[in-house]
Amino acid sequence: MHSILQGVWEGLRLIFTGDPQTYEIALRSLEVSTSALAIALLIGVPIGALVGLSQFHGRQFVVASLNTGMGMPRVVVGLVVALFLWRTGPLGFLGIMYTMQAMIIAQVLIATPIVAALCVAALQQLDPGFKLQVTSLGAGRMRTFALLMREIKGPLLAATAAAFGGVIAEVGAVMMVGGNIKGQTEVLTTGIVANVNTGLFGSAIALAVVLLILSFSTNFAMLLLQRRPKRQAG
Amino acid sequence: MAAAPLTSPRAATAPILETRGLDIVRGGRLIVHVDRLTIESGEIRVVLGPNGCGKTTMMRALNTLTPSTGEILFKGAPVLTRSDKLALRRQTAAVFQQAYLLATTVRANVETGLRIRGVDAEERHRRAGDALEMLGVAHLADRPRDGLSGGEAQRVSIARALAVDPAIIFLDEPTAALDPPTRRELLADLERIFRELKTSVMWVTHDIGEALAVADRIAFITEGRVRQDGTPDEILTRPASKEVADFLGVDTWIEGEVRDGGDGRLTFVARGGGCLTVEDPRPGPALVCIRPDDVVLFREPPQAVGPERPNSFPATVSGLRPVGRHWRVSLDWEGETVDAVLDRTAQAQLAVKQGDEVWALIDAPLQALPRESPAAL
Repeated sequence: MHSILQGVWEGLRLIFTGDPQTYEIALRSLEVSTSALAIALLIGVPIGALVGLSQFHGRQFVVASLNTGMGMPRVVVGLVVALFLWRTGPLGFLGIMYTMQAMIIAQVLIATPIVAALCVAALQQLDPGFKLQVTSLGAGRMRTFALLMREIKGPLLAATAAAFGGVIAEVGAVMMVGGNIKGQTEVLTTGIVANVNTGLFGSAIALAVVLLILSFSTNFAMLLLQRRPKRQAG
Repeated sequence: MAAAPLTSPRAATAPILETRGLDIVRGGRLIVHVDRLTIESGEIRVVLGPNGCGKTTMMRALNTLTPSTGEILFKGAPVLTRSDKLALRRQTAAVFQQAYLLATTVRANVETGLRIRGVDAEERHRRAGDALEMLGVAHLADRPRDGLSGGEAQRVSIARALAVDPAIIFLDEPTAALDPPTRRELLADLERIFRELKTSVMWVTHDIGEALAVADRIAFITEGRVRQDGTPDEILTRPASKEVADFLGVDTWIEGEVRDGGDGRLTFVARGGGCLTVEDPRPGPALVCIRPDDVVLFREPPQAVGPERPNSFPATVSGLRPVGRHWRVSLDWEGETVDAVLDRTAQAQLAVKQGDEVWALIDAPLQALPRESPAAL
């Protein structure tokens, strides 16, 4: 009990005294995860829109694959990325194993299916009349896409939050491809694991508190953004 | 009966939209087949039919919102390629049963079609303002879509369609989701606006009252086929089949035969022996429909109070029941039951009771439909 209290105290002290190492790790976490999220949105939203708005052969298969991808064990993603980036792997020549780029790639692979699958689900929830109405107004493909994305703004924000939550709290994949190198690839989650392993509970708790604050504020901000009523009278 | 294509009195040139041999197949089944259908410039063209008859699908096909095969001619030119279709949609507009307003302000909604067409901001503002004004919702311009009533939202949706000055406006049951007072007001406004602007309209509805109130011509559809095509008056007085007449609310059907009535003229003779004069008689088994509101009742033979008229006969009142503000009277005539409608004033004068002997006059031309052919088209 004593050591727990001591750990919490130490954690809070590190945060409030502005411990440079804690903040460096937190910022690196944010950098990796927001980069991954941005790329995932750029890839995932168009995929989601394409799958959600068009009819093609094998569409159900694609939807099922995206849903599977959403729940893919992160360690498996880490393993696949590691196999590719390993010195002798197909992408080994890039030499980015154990770098932030490798961690971003892993997180993109985790976040993209989440964004795409939730985007498909949101478009399936949307009354098909909207697509018909927008098309009848003379919109081409791109314009239809843009106008309908605005209609599912709320669910898209929720998808963004879910994807961000998924990657910022992820530990297995980034550990595997980042290697948790102090000062280079150590992020909040891997830092917690490493600190616990070496008995540095104070540092672990400090990082955990920062992680919780980050997750909470992201979700709270998203909640505020999508609070507007969506339903139409009549 | 003549099945020649009918043209609206207001038609000046070629139809603005024409379809020939339109087929719509879904799930391997032919759900709509139209030999020929036209929308003349400036006419209000109603497509009437029961729910699920394919009229909405047909409208979407004509607006190129759903795939179909066959010919569609827009302003005389065939609509074939993807860009033809987009061009057609860029010159027309559609309003559906739901308003489908986008998640923005009323004004931005009305400007959407103009924005897509690349109209500049100033012009957009002016035309959206005019359209909102026309529909009586200019005061809502800066409101978000949320919180509008159903009627307001639908008016905004119609303003959005009119703002692009469409060559044709397609309306799919535009008033069906509204409550009766809102609906009546919108109907009256729409008819006035379309007449003023001389808009070409394709108006899909299942509501016979709405169809009769606004239409220049009505195409009546069941099971994806046009069963009759004509002016409201033609459809009302000469329904092409029992199916059409049933939908119009005709309750009395008399079976019989068209033959020589004994005086050298062809007459419809009912199974019970009663004779009726019909238009354009052709010998053979036939059905005659009598609309209850065409039957006028008298205490004396109508000949005694006016000129000689065909199709008046004595009958016995076999039933009487109030329906809203009217009375529904069932008459027994030579073994046939003929229904009539009496309004309250008429009933106050006549004081009809069950078992009374009265005279009935059918105050409309009667049509004998050959029994074997289900439809004229």
